[in-house]
Amino acid sequence: MNVLTRLRRFPFWSWIWFALGALYFILPLLATLEFSVSWDPADPLKAYTRVFAEQDFWETFLYSNLLAVATILVNVILIVPTAYWIRLRVPEARRIVEFITLLPFVVPAIILVFGLIGVYSSPFQVPFTELTLMDPLTTTKFGTNVLIVAGYMVLAMPYMYRSVDTGMRTVDVRTLTEAAQSLGASWFTIITRVILPNVRAALLSGALLTFAIVVGEVTLASFLGVNAFGPYLFLLGQHRAYEPAALSFFSFILTWIAMGLIQLFTGGQGQAAGTR
Amino acid sequence: MAYLTLSNISKQFADAYAVQDFNLDVEKGEFVSFLGPSGCGKTTTLRMVAGFEAPTKGKITLNNSDITNQAPNQRNVGMVFQAYALFPNMTVAQNIGFGLRVRRERESAIKERIREMLAIINLENRGDSYPYQLSGGQQQRVALARALAIRPQVLLLDEPLSALDAKIRVSLRAEIRSIQQRLGITTIYVTHDQEEALSLSDRIVVMNTGVIEQVGTPFQIYNFPETAFVASFVGTLNTGTAEVVDPAQGLLDLDGVQLVSAADLSDKQKGDQVRIAIRPERFSFVSEEKKANIIDCKIENITFLGSIVRIQVIIGRTKFYMDTFNNPFLELPRIGDQTQITCSREAVLVLGIPAMIQTLLDPQKAS
Repeated sequence: MNVLTRLRRFPFWSWIWFALGALYFILPLLATLEFSVSWDPADPLKAYTRVFAEQDFWETFLYSNLLAVATILVNVILIVPTAYWIRLRVPEARRIVEFITLLPFVVPAIILVFGLIGVYSSPFQVPFTELTLMDPLTTTKFGTNVLIVAGYMVLAMPYMYRSVDTGMRTVDVRTLTEAAQSLGASWFTIITRVILPNVRAALLSGALLTFAIVVGEVTLASFLGVNAFGPYLFLLGQHRAYEPAALSFFSFILTWIAMGLIQLFTGGQGQAAGTR
Repeated sequence: MAYLTLSNISKQFADAYAVQDFNLDVEKGEFVSFLGPSGCGKTTTLRMVAGFEAPTKGKITLNNSDITNQAPNQRNVGMVFQAYALFPNMTVAQNIGFGLRVRRERESAIKERIREMLAIINLENRGDSYPYQLSGGQQQRVALARALAIRPQVLLLDEPLSALDAKIRVSLRAEIRSIQQRLGITTIYVTHDQEEALSLSDRIVVMNTGVIEQVGTPFQIYNFPETAFVASFVGTLNTGTAEVVDPAQGLLDLDGVQLVSAADLSDKQKGDQVRIAIRPERFSFVSEEKKANIIDCKIENITFLGSIVRIQVIIGRTKFYMDTFNNPFLELPRIGDQTQITCSREAVLVLGIPAMIQTLLDPQKAS
């Protein structure tokens, strides 16, 4: 094969577009990294050590992580059976559900939080009586946590639902269900031993997106007055220069680690799911 | 009472019937095939036996108990799907043992059963493989083993060979039949492939537009089709319209050519129009032998099909096919030749006369 033929076969334009795309994503990241280490040339990691030394950072970061885990758990419990049931029994409802899952993109978080505050900041009473069914949720820490997780569930719903739905599209959910049923499996067994393991990769992708949204979310946390990582990052960005850059880069690294873990845990699933 | 009974089963989707008034008795250990074109209701009927569809009307009993409204996971019915439906996250052994683990059987018993099943399907060394590491034929054998592992009362197979290539299809169908006979398991097999149904089944149920056209042994279905649909769907068949000349003698007129049939025409009048059917292989050249019907015809076309040679002839104004076995010394006429072919009285079928089978099998009436 001569050089000319090799050159002709080389996917030149593909590589150009790939390089442009990579630059678009990598350049800002490099700029952030470069800025975060430029505070003190004698101590390039000064911004990082400062950030990690702050107690507020750890408190807000851990709290947001807990909120993210709670949101992911409740979302999995609600969305996996819903997406499964829609695929299995009411496929004609998919368009309606997809429309509903798009609503969080259309309705801003500020509207959502004012709606939540409006409804749950006063006691729930039986109409025309003094009988109170539920105390206001915003007055207690637990109630506020419930509210914020509920709000995050709505915000993360499009990502989680679509991830799970796409995962279910790659396996023949209906036939697998029927096969399991014919072998005597109950609904619980089917979901936990057949469906969930086969949408594991999609589930983890949805969970990662949910995690990213919850950890960086500002609006809901600010208006509900909780000490989360989003508002902390926002405040830090308003008053400091180098630490926010360090935190941004740290967040990127966290995301990459999470993606790496997904790859690690779901390594063989792509092949396994593609059996047919 | 039969082992599996489907009584007056109907299934309605919106305002259309997928299955209508389906009645069938299946004996223990019998292999019954549902044969028909796409949309004829065969898979819907199978799914009603499995419990995946509820009949709109009718009753299904299995081993003397009514299972019409029983959940699929309570029926103890094994099912093999066209798309294999192996669980991708489980190994071959885990797939086979799934039903037994659901039943909470002892682990040692499960392992023993898995070994037994792997031996039956000749995949002893593939227990630790994942489905994606197997070929289509191997995956379907695992699906069969998985369905059989739970010792089902009935085995249901929904076009299990359709996704496989021709060679594997033939070998696997022989394997399915052999395993079924060895285990003596009652089996219902859905297919649109007549060759599969004819080669595998004890009985065939031919279906069309949701109703049963004919139930019979492969021999009966092929040789004595009762309806025009069965005649056209199973095998190659020449059909034409003839006029009854003498009902008592079975004498018919096809475009001026006299034919004699063994069919019972006692309810027909002289001058009635009837649909006749003759299998291509029932014709032979007069030069080789002479039967009750000697027919003048013209050779229209000759096609070489390997083991047989298909000759198109014109009888009167109707085109018929004639099949003859190929051999290196075969002397064939040439296209355009006028010649004579022959067939027996029994070869001339009159469609829509179910009693014909009895007539033909009764030597006194047939003579």
